[in-house]
Amino acid sequence: MTNAVPAPQAEPHLDPRSFLRATPPFDALTAEAFELAAGALEIAYFPQGTRILSADGAPSDALYVVRKGLVRLERGGETSAVLEEGDFFGYSVVTGQVSADVVVEEDLLAYRVPETVVRRLLAFAPFTRFFTQGLAARLRHQPAFSAEPALGGDVLLPVGSLVDRPPVTIPAGASVLDAARVMRDERVSSVLLLSEPPAIVTDRDLRNRVLAAGLGPETPALAVSSSPVRTVPHGTPVYGAWQAMLEHGIHHLAVEREKKLVGVVTSTDLLRHHSHGPVLAFKKVERMRGREALPAYGTDLARMVAMLVRSGLAATHIARLVSHLNDALVRRLLVWAERDLGAPPCPYAFLVFGSEGRFEQTLLTDQDNAIVYRDGDEPTRSYFRRLAHKVVADLVAAGFPPCPGGYMATNHAGPLSEWIARFAAWIDMPKMEAILAAGIFFDHRSAGGGLDLAPLAAVLERARQNAPFLSQLARAALGFRPPLGAFRRLELENGGVDLKKGGIAPIQGLARLWALDAGVRATPTVDRLKAATAAGLLDLETGEALEEAYIFFLGLRLREQIRALSEGRAPGNHVAVDALSPSERRHLKESFLAVRTAQKYAITRYQVTTA
Amino acid sequence: MRLRDLLPARSPRFTEVVFWALDLETEGLDPGRDAILSVGMVPVRRGLVRLGEAFSSLVHPREERPPSVGALGAHHLRPFDTRNAPDLAAVLPEISRRLEGNVLLVHHATIDVRFLKAAFRSTGRSWRPPPVVDTVRLLYRWADARRFLGNPPGDPELNLFAARDQLGLPAYPPHDALVDATATAELFLALRARLGCERLRQLL
Repeated sequence: MTNAVPAPQAEPHLDPRSFLRATPPFDALTAEAFELAAGALEIAYFPQGTRILSADGAPSDALYVVRKGLVRLERGGETSAVLEEGDFFGYSVVTGQVSADVVVEEDLLAYRVPETVVRRLLAFAPFTRFFTQGLAARLRHQPAFSAEPALGGDVLLPVGSLVDRPPVTIPAGASVLDAARVMRDERVSSVLLLSEPPAIVTDRDLRNRVLAAGLGPETPALAVSSSPVRTVPHGTPVYGAWQAMLEHGIHHLAVEREKKLVGVVTSTDLLRHHSHGPVLAFKKVERMRGREALPAYGTDLARMVAMLVRSGLAATHIARLVSHLNDALVRRLLVWAERDLGAPPCPYAFLVFGSEGRFEQTLLTDQDNAIVYRDGDEPTRSYFRRLAHKVVADLVAAGFPPCPGGYMATNHAGPLSEWIARFAAWIDMPKMEAILAAGIFFDHRSAGGGLDLAPLAAVLERARQNAPFLSQLARAALGFRPPLGAFRRLELENGGVDLKKGGIAPIQGLARLWALDAGVRATPTVDRLKAATAAGLLDLETGEALEEAYIFFLGLRLREQIRALSEGRAPGNHVAVDALSPSERRHLKESFLAVRTAQKYAITRYQVTTA
Repeated sequence: MRLRDLLPARSPRFTEVVFWALDLETEGLDPGRDAILSVGMVPVRRGLVRLGEAFSSLVHPREERPPSVGALGAHHLRPFDTRNAPDLAAVLPEISRRLEGNVLLVHHATIDVRFLKAAFRSTGRSWRPPPVVDTVRLLYRWADARRFLGNPPGDPELNLFAARDQLGLPAYPPHDALVDATATAELFLALRARLGCERLRQLL
């Protein structure tokens, strides 16, 4: 069990003056020079959307430091950087030239040092040095953004290329004070402990596990560290690093090359390189204060998905990132609901189904969720009903429409024993509704809550032994026919094809069937196909072709859906063949062929008679 | 006579008004019995909180009765802190000088205004009440506005720190009159922006 839920952030309680003093370069000023700044400090507040500075406008009249909120820098209409707590903007107060538009991304509280004082502070070396270095770093980052539209094609960039220094380390026996000092001097937000195995201490640990826990400076750093250090290989693409961070709810990843740790990348590093990537959305979910922040979620997510699609990332990877974000949101909503209703009477899990259950959610689609709790009497039942209503309503506010079929926690909250009985009944009596229900509920996973779902998963083992059930499931999966006619020509309907009926749904159905047959609990379709191949249920060639076909269908559908949304049409599953390039058309045909071939396999194995 | 003088006076823009955020640390809640222990004030000028112009002072306790140790403990003040502080009669002119012609900005105005009134009276001065903006009132208005926009109804967080947290403002250390005044000033800026109040009249 990984520590996937991020601990609530205990912030250090710093008043404006102390905050400024703790922020470089003000930490390096003499008391006298600091007084100059502190004596003129101003506080400004800007709501989201405010354009504080414009590239073609007047230079700033002050140097700003972000205290709370997020700011994005825009160059030529594209975001070039996102600034957060402790970051500066308004360098034009010195240079006289605004280099980027400064726009408030999330309600901003900023401290200001007015121009006259900034000019006087330039007489002090640490201050000037910080400025010139800061400018250089900003210029260094600039081309990466202005050269490429949106995210650029570099989500496939190896994460090692973002590492610009070896890891900062301290001896295994160092105290938290040593750690804090090294982090301050080296200007890093984490240090690696040279213990066996190595461990990591981050600024959050110093805050949450030392300060907030009332521990003293002599506390061994090892005692508040995390180990083992989450590590990714040097060659991991940037999106892989996003996924690791989102999945584990962490902000620091060590980078390994030939079994050696070569550096650490932080969520801030990733944010700077891909300012509309999932890291920003993840940070925003972590920072959500109240329900009024929910409506922005859908918009942010849609924007992020559009960027990722343009960057060329495979739809299955995009979907996995979206699912992790949605999970973070669900965990947040559960915290709120538990805060409103009091602690839950027993352990429970918030289940998600369907595409969300398979980590294949891309755009916000209908909710498919449920609650399962360990056991309980009527008050317990009533508690989880209320919890379900709150979370479902919050999800609606965040942009997830209610499920028209009613497959939602508000209708589906029950004790584990009930769920086990239901699952068992569906398998033992595979009627039409049972097959339909299996198609929805068997693709489940827990998005929040700590209840162990192993007993529920164990019921699915029964399916392996139950030939009639598997046969019914196969019949359902074979009911979808790829739109291929004589001579393998595409059969068009309104000038196009339905990607869901012709490709996506049959592959999902077969993958689910094979996973149950092989006794594999993975829910993502691609993982299931791999497992099925490994179990010998289909040959390697067919398996790989089907996997590629699936990724192609999902990507094509996502691209068309985003186009539809941007043109004000409802996103659907239909794709007009005329709009495809010749190579895309060929790819489409081959993908449908792969589906047909795979279906033939299933007909033989499960002895389904086709009409 | 200029044309402008003939028109009905419009309420000034909030950027044209100076708001003095004020917080008092007191021994208790009864202005007749409990003493003022410290005062913090900071102005909001042209929409910016100007920390450089802040005023804060401890207040020497009244001679008859030393402040209760419990009260001092709660505010992190110790007896010797206030021993050399100026007494109330010396601090009050500092307060009234700043409020002259400006707007008083307080979180939970009723309590602090009652203390101020009593303090002025007890030292033989007249209390000329300035226009008052109360961030607690603004919090209620914000709650109404949110309800109007279809958010689930709920009572607003009225505690200064809880309200700030709800509006995404940072946590500040407690028990310091100047920090609390600053915290109030920031809360005011955040609420004003959310309520979209451009003129003083909309804030009173």
